[in-house]
Amino acid sequence: MTTSDDPDRRNVLKAGAVTLGAAAFARAVAPVTEWVDGLSVDGFLQKHYKELSKEEMNDILRRHEQKTADEYGREVQIQDVRPIPGVQFAYALNLSICIGCRKCAEACHQENNHDRRTNNSYIRVLEMTQGSLDLAHGNPNYDHPVPQPGKYYMPVQCHQCDNAPCVKVCPIEATWKEPDGIVVVDYDWCIGCRYCEAACPYHARRFNWTKPEIPADEINPDQAYLSNRIRPQGVMEKCTFCLHRTRKGRLPACLEACPTGARVFGNLADPDSEIRWVLENKRVFVLKEDAGTQPRFFYFFDV
Amino acid sequence: MSPALLLLVACDRGFSDPDRAFAAPIEGPPTYATTIVAPTTLGVVDTSRTDVHGTPIGVGCATCHGPDPSQAWAATPGEPFHTGVSLRHGNNTCDHCHDPADRTRLHLADGTSIEMGAAIQLCAQCHGKQYTNYQHGAHGGMNGYWDLRQGPRTRNHCVVCHAPHDPAIPVVSPVLPPHDRYLEPPHDHL
Amino acid sequence: MSTLPDTESRRDTPAVEPTEYVTSYPEFLWRALKVATDGGPLFYVWMTVLTAVWLVGVNAFAHQLVQGQGATAMTDHVSWGMYIGNFTYAVGIAAGAVMMVIPAYLYKDRDMHDVVIVGEILAVAAVAVALSFVNVDIGRPDRLWHFLPYIGRFNWPVSMLTWDVIVLSGYFLINLHVVGYLLYTRFLGLRPNPRWYLPFVFLSIVWAVSIHTVTAFLYSGLGSRPFWNSAILAPRFIASAFVTGPAFIVLALQAIRRLTDFHVGDAPIRTLIGVLRVTAVLNLFMLFAEVFTELYTGGSHTAAATYLWFGLHGKHALVPWIWSALAMDVTAALLLLFSDPVKNLARIDVACLLTLFGIWIEKGLGLIVPGFVPSTLHEIVEYVPNQLEWKVSLGIWALGIMIYTLGLKVAIAVFTGRMHHERRS
Repeated sequence: MTTSDDPDRRNVLKAGAVTLGAAAFARAVAPVTEWVDGLSVDGFLQKHYKELSKEEMNDILRRHEQKTADEYGREVQIQDVRPIPGVQFAYALNLSICIGCRKCAEACHQENNHDRRTNNSYIRVLEMTQGSLDLAHGNPNYDHPVPQPGKYYMPVQCHQCDNAPCVKVCPIEATWKEPDGIVVVDYDWCIGCRYCEAACPYHARRFNWTKPEIPADEINPDQAYLSNRIRPQGVMEKCTFCLHRTRKGRLPACLEACPTGARVFGNLADPDSEIRWVLENKRVFVLKEDAGTQPRFFYFFDV
Repeated sequence: MSPALLLLVACDRGFSDPDRAFAAPIEGPPTYATTIVAPTTLGVVDTSRTDVHGTPIGVGCATCHGPDPSQAWAATPGEPFHTGVSLRHGNNTCDHCHDPADRTRLHLADGTSIEMGAAIQLCAQCHGKQYTNYQHGAHGGMNGYWDLRQGPRTRNHCVVCHAPHDPAIPVVSPVLPPHDRYLEPPHDHL
Repeated sequence: MSTLPDTESRRDTPAVEPTEYVTSYPEFLWRALKVATDGGPLFYVWMTVLTAVWLVGVNAFAHQLVQGQGATAMTDHVSWGMYIGNFTYAVGIAAGAVMMVIPAYLYKDRDMHDVVIVGEILAVAAVAVALSFVNVDIGRPDRLWHFLPYIGRFNWPVSMLTWDVIVLSGYFLINLHVVGYLLYTRFLGLRPNPRWYLPFVFLSIVWAVSIHTVTAFLYSGLGSRPFWNSAILAPRFIASAFVTGPAFIVLALQAIRRLTDFHVGDAPIRTLIGVLRVTAVLNLFMLFAEVFTELYTGGSHTAAATYLWFGLHGKHALVPWIWSALAMDVTAALLLLFSDPVKNLARIDVACLLTLFGIWIEKGLGLIVPGFVPSTLHEIVEYVPNQLEWKVSLGIWALGIMIYTLGLKVAIAVFTGRMHHERRS
């Protein structure tokens, strides 16, 4: 450069370049302001779920209710529903009488306030070929009358594993196993690295790729912090056995929606429960037992 | 237990406010009941005719069949009002289930007359395995509470899902499959 | 001429007064800033282009922040893609830089010792690139503080990702310290005190292996993904790192020799080519061992490998990529083995470029994407990075190259004596 011998002129040029660069940078990052507007100081500083006192939890629940009212136009009730002492949840599914109607997936979609655009659901129903348990022969995208001859149907959702790979890999303890066996996510703590999604052998975890969209009148207002409240963008979510229902003694939404009664849910710790009867009297099996995940979700074939 | 799981348990820090860890315990025996949703009367038979609006005309069975023995005539195959009854239930015929002496009632294999609402006993004679499963909550849908200490439960009667004359579950169109992001046409976001 | 610290003549230089450090360190930084922003026309063009590419990336990332990761081509089926692929590759480059440190310090190769700073700065820049790729991949960068031990909730030692955070930031700090210490002491005209940097140099050798091993463990520890769940993954990572690192440095050293007055002899380049001749073949051998085991065994656990190499059920987005990668890797290995490093240096350069691209595919998208295809429920959902992901990725690489360029510029100015502190006598 011809100017290299003239330090003053050089410095002026440098200053000009820096100014231009800074202006270009400001323009490049301009969209971020919209993102920053969506954040709040309270939200930013919020502690991990297990470190909150009752009062702090209450403040957070009210804040989230207000946020839902502001952003989605719906009054909702968000509670912090805790496990009942002495209850151990488990689920069983009778593959012989499941007809593959996807009513469970639909009920999940509505109950858990899923994003409407993606028709998301925690349940994926696979159309399997008789004579094979190989998932490679399964098809979740079937769109023809069911049941088809020569096929059986296998709904897959979170297995609430006792040795959960997703919990193991989470770098910040944003997901953990609760005393009643349910694996939960603190949506306000998760950083969205999606390591758990890679670790899960059952495709049970979903990421909020965008902010969920739900019309106000379709929102289920009965919500819990750890389950079906509307999730923020950029965090993981998963099936919680509808803990906002089941921890109050109610049946999960997918079970109530099942027209054939293929689904059995209950308390493993109660020897008189339906789930115990199934586990003791049916030849149950778990999916991908070789993965060593020790699921709480069992399948069986029985007419 | 895998070593990683042991580590996980060992490193668990629990709740800083132990009062938040659990809900209040629930004591005592189950106090709520299970109700079975059961039809107690005869149904409606399709006449294969329609009214001026195109709505199919049905005739209540009770129109002809009352409790009076004079209305308990023998079943005639091809009888006009029964053409709408498609009987596809094994080798059964009408009188295998319907009480020949009182058409508002059913009867068991040993001849015992039972009320319509007690039909589960009748079904159970042949479908014992399903009945056992049903008794243990492993067949037939239910609603309400898994925990009868906290609330009641309703259960379906056999005929809620299985039409007694044609009990096979009909072929249905499923709810739409998931349309995940990948099924949307790719589009540029910038 | 050697640029090795002239130990004999400086042994008796008087010690620096503590107060002088207080003034000389800001001076060092200020002078470094000046040196880093001063250069010929080529330098300004180079930096302008890099800045422009980086800004395009920053803008794309800003859009991604607002819209969410939905702005990328990733899905719940293929939940990691371009970003994590590049992350893995960048960790490899960072680890590979140690291939200069080992000869320089372990084998006391004086020629290598003269230029080892080129590798150490590369390690710093490459780790910066790797960490940037992680930051653009996560959904909530505003919550990064949850990683901080004690303030956040750091799931160490159970989660492999926490190990990766530790080893990567550790490697970054170790190399930053070594580079910073060497440059600063030379700037002061002092002989670097081995006590203050040699332990860190040896630590960095072990640490270099650890960063790529732990990164491999991130994937190989997942039983749900048979394609990754292989004991040979960590050795494969190390082997490929020891290809890409030296290959990059061979090219960088030649560029430095042509464009600057920094003395780069033939000996370090020849040593690195010697390393490459072994590692390029070793990398191919391990790839072959893995592919053989997968394809000969067959069964549903090898569906991912089948998808990668031949396509599955009519889906074959990665097939052209992986065969190109194999062709590049094989050509590069042959060129390296059968070219004379002095007479045919141009052929070696082609080999280096080929292997850099080949391994970028093989240890980038070619490693990450098949882990997700087919999915754990055996659905086949393909992934091809979209325009936004390309912009963000190129932006990060531009940033890395900028860091590397500026780092080298300062280092060269210090090593050639153009940037030095006027000692108070």
